Amino acid sequence: MSRFNLNRRGFLKASAAAIAAGAVPMSMVEVAFADAAKNFTFAYISDAHIQQIKGTQFVNNWDRGLIRAVAETNLLDPKPDFVFFGGDLAQLGNKAELDHGAEMLSALKQKTYYVMGEHDYYLDLGEYWSKLFGPQYYSFDHKGVHFVVLNSILTYDDWTFKRWPTPEQRMLEMAGLDNPNGSPFMVGDKQRAWLKADLDKVAKSTPLIVFSHSPLQKLYKGWNFWTEDAEQVQALLKPFAKATVLYGHVHQIQYNQIGNITFHSVMATAWPWPYPQTYAQAQHAMPKLTIPINRADPFFERDATGWQFIDVDSGKIAATYQLYNNTSRKVLFNPKTGQPEDTQYQEPAKRIPPQEHY
Amino acid sequence: MNNKNTWMGVVAVAVVATLALVSTGRADEFTKSDKARWEKEYMTVVAKGRELWTSGKLGTNGVSCAQCHPNGANTHPETYPKFQKQIGRIIPLREMINWCLRNPLEGKPIPADDARMIAIEAYLAYERRGVALAPGKH
Amino acid sequence: MTWRSRSSLWIATFAAGGLFALGLGSDARSDAPSSVPLGLPAVPIPADNPQTPDKIALGKKLFEDVRFSSTGKVSCATCHAAEKAFTDGPLVTSKGINDLRGTRNAPTVLNAAYFSTQFWDGRSPSLEDQSQHPFVNPVEMGLPNHDPILAIVRTDKDYVAAFGKVFGKSGNAITMKEVMQAIASFERTQISGNSPFDRFYFAGDAKALTAAQKRGFDVFLNKGRCVSCHVIEQTTALFTDHRFHNIGVGITKIQKDVPELATAFLKTRATLAEVDAKVLSDKRTSELGRLAVTRSFDDIGSFKTPTLRNVALTAPYMHDGSLKTLKLVVEHYNNGGITTPKERINDFVSGGIRPLKLTPAEINDLVAFLEALTSPEVAKATKAKGR
Repeated sequence: MSRFNLNRRGFLKASAAAIAAGAVPMSMVEVAFADAAKNFTFAYISDAHIQQIKGTQFVNNWDRGLIRAVAETNLLDPKPDFVFFGGDLAQLGNKAELDHGAEMLSALKQKTYYVMGEHDYYLDLGEYWSKLFGPQYYSFDHKGVHFVVLNSILTYDDWTFKRWPTPEQRMLEMAGLDNPNGSPFMVGDKQRAWLKADLDKVAKSTPLIVFSHSPLQKLYKGWNFWTEDAEQVQALLKPFAKATVLYGHVHQIQYNQIGNITFHSVMATAWPWPYPQTYAQAQHAMPKLTIPINRADPFFERDATGWQFIDVDSGKIAATYQLYNNTSRKVLFNPKTGQPEDTQYQEPAKRIPPQEHY
Repeated sequence: MNNKNTWMGVVAVAVVATLALVSTGRADEFTKSDKARWEKEYMTVVAKGRELWTSGKLGTNGVSCAQCHPNGANTHPETYPKFQKQIGRIIPLREMINWCLRNPLEGKPIPADDARMIAIEAYLAYERRGVALAPGKH
Repeated sequence: MTWRSRSSLWIATFAAGGLFALGLGSDARSDAPSSVPLGLPAVPIPADNPQTPDKIALGKKLFEDVRFSSTGKVSCATCHAAEKAFTDGPLVTSKGINDLRGTRNAPTVLNAAYFSTQFWDGRSPSLEDQSQHPFVNPVEMGLPNHDPILAIVRTDKDYVAAFGKVFGKSGNAITMKEVMQAIASFERTQISGNSPFDRFYFAGDAKALTAAQKRGFDVFLNKGRCVSCHVIEQTTALFTDHRFHNIGVGITKIQKDVPELATAFLKTRATLAEVDAKVLSDKRTSELGRLAVTRSFDDIGSFKTPTLRNVALTAPYMHDGSLKTLKLVVEHYNNGGITTPKERINDFVSGGIRPLKLTPAEINDLVAFLEALTSPEVAKATKAKGR
């Protein structure tokens, strides 16, 4: 059973309680209280993969995952400042799927920002998506934090424009996660130039949160848990004292620290993916920091899916992963160790007995 | 020595000689070319299995097995047969494949001796090659 | 030892426990009665409350004692009547003192001993614990506290003798703990298996089910997806996964109000006793289901998967008694979690619930199968008292 803390008071209380139990270093709480007035919360829903069967018929399971995430987000009290949708709203990027997904998201009570995913993009290069949701990359400021949204699922021009006879075929090829005909994701020269210009105007002490669909790291190429120009993008974020990257695409909980940049993935509302290390033939570089989610019941349709809410405490984030019928997971930045940590599962003895279904 | 025995001996030698002419190896050995040929045939079935795995045509809603199981990950073929909670008894892998066809893929099950089922099983085993058997494991 | 063979689905079990579970009766599980009915595992019995015949008899007496209510007219047996398969059908929701109506349908006591939690929302962890709550619920027995019960059991001649014999206690040493233990002890004897389904599936009697019931069993396992939650295992079947699911009963009608209700409830700091009173008196709060217990979004509108044993005798159905017949129940599932196709499926419906596309014949066959889950002795007891 999950102890869900609806509000920040509850969340901070939980931290305090954890301190009393000796599980959390004192310094974490100090950071949390430091600039209390500037702290805020936002919700993050991602990877809905609304999939059209025929006409107005859509895959029921993915629909219900998104409906539920939206309904639960609307129950948050106090209300989050805004909601992010992390990409892959559609499965094959067509108008029917994007419209149906947009309709379900329209039930959200807060202002919603959108991140492009490859499943939204490769049919029409984001043309319809942009009509619905606006620019494919942009930035804004909120309560002293600089937010950047990247379209990080682009790939080599050759693959995008010359390889495939039809847009439908191109979309199908990119839709297969393990497709050997796929092509690695990237941010690309144009956007990196835009990003550099954008960040040049921002003071390096300003907390920076970057939204991306691909990981902005190189984790496992076989499943495109990969950004080809990750190092170059990371170099642009490096000067910032507090930089965080939030990414979708992987359908599982991951977190990492590279230098001063903290990385958090977000879950899918549609279906979970296994961790690359479960593929016997894979060679991968999954972050050692990540403690995998335990899957309570792989045959339960909402198993290991969920959504998250993010607390921004003085520019560093604490992500609460809301898993259905499973223990919620909180991943907090620990200033003492300088990396994000799952507060409950640090000690091996505290972990749920291993279920290797992840 | 009587005539019958002699004749039988001659026939036996003739049979062995004939067999020796037909086969290129001894009775209990496979030749390299045999093995190469069979390996190739196996891989065509694996490829067929991969094609089915990614096709989205096995069910009625367009969902493909590969959507949730890229490269067959998390199917754990090495743990079957095992008690499957959702079915309520010990089952082999192919019944689990059929459970997925019925449930997330909203389709119909495939018989065990259907070429498609064999292809899928061959593909899953191939992706899981090298992993030790762990029957009954959860 | 005869091999028990049935359809190609059956696999022989070699484990000794498995063989015993096939209804041979056993002393291997020393706590269980001398033979567990076919299709059931050993009854879980807490170490601190072993079964004895005298304790069971005491528990039955307590169970049936109407003095433990503010009006002197209501006992556990009022809503859990032996001749009605331990329910109070055809009542939709139960009536307590002064005919006050609750919000929930009385679940059967039969096989409740196997549940890992009690009540529709699982707010009680055991039979012992559960037994104390209805006494002090305002719409059930309506007592202000348990003192009137203790007064009776400490002074009534028969109770004094019984408590002395069973627990070796008298006077103020007799507490609600002993009362609860005795009641639970009695309830643990109310188990029933050996239905036509059990004889078909576990004892290999191909004739135990009719053709329609066999087809219905196939629907139960496959197209109907029932077995996902109403669990059948290799050698036993409890027909429950001990979990809580929102299947769209009740909550569908108030779904527009759920955000406000859920938020308001979660803002309160209700104790479990307050929850107990509130869920039975306020219908709208009742529909929140297990959310009231765990305060988790997962559990909005969720209720416990009940057993299906003897389900043909425990109408009407669901936590609010809103579905009168098994056919209506199957149609509700077939619609994907709504009773009529025009309704909107609520946002919090459990993941496994979706339209099933059953044909009318399949629906009838499934109902026929559900009727095969009745234990013969329960059927007899129910007929005898003219239900």
